[in-house]
Formats: sequence, structure tokens, C-alpha cells
Amino acid sequence: MEKSRRYAKSHEWARLEDDGTVTVGISAYAVEALTDLVFMQLPDVGATVTAGESFGEIESVKAVSDLYAPISGKVVAANTDLPSQLETLGSDPYGSGWVIRIEPDSVEQLEALMNQEAYDELIGG
Amino acid sequence: MNLSGSNKSSPNEKQRTSFHVWRDPPASGGWNMAADEALARQSEETNRVLMRLYGWHPHTVSLGSFQRSVDFSERLELSHWPVVRRPSGGGAIIHGTDLTYGLAVPGSHDWSRGTEKLYTAVHGALVEELSERHLSARMVDATSRETEQSFYCFNRRAFGDLVVEDASGTSPHGNHKILGSAQRRLSGVVLQHGSLLLHRNPHIQGEGSHVGLGDVLQAGSVNDVIDGWLERLADRMNGELIAETSPSYEKENDEIVRRTQRYESVAWLHRR
Repeated sequence: MEKSRRYAKSHEWARLEDDGTVTVGISAYAVEALTDLVFMQLPDVGATVTAGESFGEIESVKAVSDLYAPISGKVVAANTDLPSQLETLGSDPYGSGWVIRIEPDSVEQLEALMNQEAYDELIGG
Repeated sequence: MNLSGSNKSSPNEKQRTSFHVWRDPPASGGWNMAADEALARQSEETNRVLMRLYGWHPHTVSLGSFQRSVDFSERLELSHWPVVRRPSGGGAIIHGTDLTYGLAVPGSHDWSRGTEKLYTAVHGALVEELSERHLSARMVDATSRETEQSFYCFNRRAFGDLVVEDASGTSPHGNHKILGSAQRRLSGVVLQHGSLLLHRNPHIQGEGSHVGLGDVLQAGSVNDVIDGWLERLADRMNGELIAETSPSYEKENDEIVRRTQRYESVAWLHRR
């Protein structure tokens, strides 16, 4: 399985790590579109997430949005620094702005997500 | 999250849209939130722009999705008020002398992209209508930023908020905010909530007391303004305004009763 980022249509990204877990975050495009983030709610470590279903919420000055799990599995880590440092989502969305890490039910789920080229096409880049 | 697809134009962007509007009777907080949620799902299923306008009975305080319930509990002036948590964001609103709207826009519609288009459309249409009536109204510009947010929605100022000139000099902001809105972006549909203050609420004093449209309107009636606002909104959408006569929830009553229980639950109110 290629270890580059994959993307959901709902703008979350997923990346397979060396230890078999999958790191999940929010794309730079989505962070920019949301603007002025003020609150974020993360799931608890140990929670089960299901592909396509909400695992958290994020609020900008004008909108509350759900965060959707790109794959199914168990949450093994959450970036608990993030809610108090939301600017990190904008400054480093694919690094220190990661949101959760998932132990996937299967890594094959990643194949159903978009690669960079397809995602760029989606956002009109 | 739902940013509703891409930057590309959708095929139906230029088509004339049907814009269905209901004026529902006043209802409880839990019922109103449930009815808005049902409206959003109906919008997604029918691919139509739907709007319901409504009041609140009894008068109720609504909290934004991320507000802490303890911040409500600590306010003695609100100790006897019913309270409900909205699915949308923003600050607390004291409902009773306002007109609330729930506007559901399907993900295929151009207005669902990003967050600002819908605000600009809804609030801009009212600015136009008020300006036509020689009332100095404008939307707060994008450079406005607040580091500390007030408990009350109408004490906050953010991009798109509709403010009118403070001729009396009583507002610390130099203007009166009379329309504020906030969105909940769901999968496949955007629900925008908004509250248009109609009159100052006589049952609340202090920082929760705010001027309404009827208090500053020089000519015409509040109802005339609302009619004109809706017509202008339909024009902006290139849509045909369809005024529905029966309640919006007539066909989904059982579903709304079920959803109401969630909004009236302790768990929902105290989730933050």
C-alpha cells in the first residue's frame, strides 16, 4: 500500500504510517474554507469510528461542521493539543495539525479514497 | 466535513430554483430544532432550497452548539427561562420577540459552497430591503475580529452580521445588530439558522436586551420588510418563491416528535 496521503470527499486526509496505523487530518483547502476556527471536539482514544460517519466537530465563527472518518477502525491517539492551538491546522495541516490516529479495520479501505490528483481535481486546483 | 463539493460549477447552477417558504406557528425550542433538522433532511432528499420562519412558545434561550451549559446556568437573569442547544454555532439568543429562520440548502446548490455565500445572500437581501426603506443597514465586513466572544449572539460582531445605525447612541458598538446567523454543515446539506430581532424584549434587562427592527423602522411595517426580504432572496437565487400554507412538518410529525426528545434531553443540553 502506497504511503502517500489519500483524501475523502468530505476533505479529511488519511496517511498509512509505518506501524500500520492511519493518521487522519483536515486538508489545507478545507481549513482555509472554514476560516476563523474557534472550537474543536475530538473523540476519545479507544472510540470506534466508521467510514463516512462523524467522529468529531469543528466550529468556525460562522459554521459548525462534522468531521467524517475516512476509514473504519479504532482511535488509538488524538491530538489533544489541537483544540487549544487551532492555528496549527492552518499552518501545518499535514504535520503537527494531525487530528486522530486510527488502527484500521483493514488498510485496503484506503484504496477507496482519492489520491492527490483526484482530490486536486475535486477542489478545482 | 461538508464544504459541499468542489469549486466547479454544478450543472443546475443556472437553473431556476423553487424556493419553498413556510411560516410555522410558534413552538418549543426542542420542537423547533427538530423541525429544522427534518427540514434539512427534506432539502437533501428533494434537492430543493427550503426555509421555515417561526417563533418560540414559550420564550426560550438557545445556546450555540459549542457554548458551555454552565455559562447559561450561571446567569441569574436567565434562571427562569427554558433553554435549548442549537445544532448550529454562535452565541446565545433570547427568543420571543424575534423571527427565527431555518434555511436548508442542498449540497448541489452554489450557495452551499463555503460558508460566506449563504450569509451574503440572506443578509444582503435584507440590507437591500432596509436600504430601500431609507434605513442605514450594512453587513459587518470581513476585517472584523473579536478575540473574546460575548455570551450573547447580539453582542458579538462578525463578518456578515447585519447592523443598523445607532441613532440613539446607546450601543457600545456604535450600531445595533438585528440579524445574526450561524450554520450547521451536514452531510449533503447546509442548515443556516438566523434570528431577526423584531422588538426589544420587555422581559430581559441588561446585556441581554437588544433593539429590534420594529424599534428603528421609520416607515412601513415589519411584515412588509419580511415579505420584501423573501422576494429579494428569491431573486438572488434566481428562484421562484413558493409560499407554503400548511406547517412545514405536517408530513413528518412523528419524525419530529422523535427528534424533539433528543433536543430536550439533559445529555444534549449538557454535552458541553
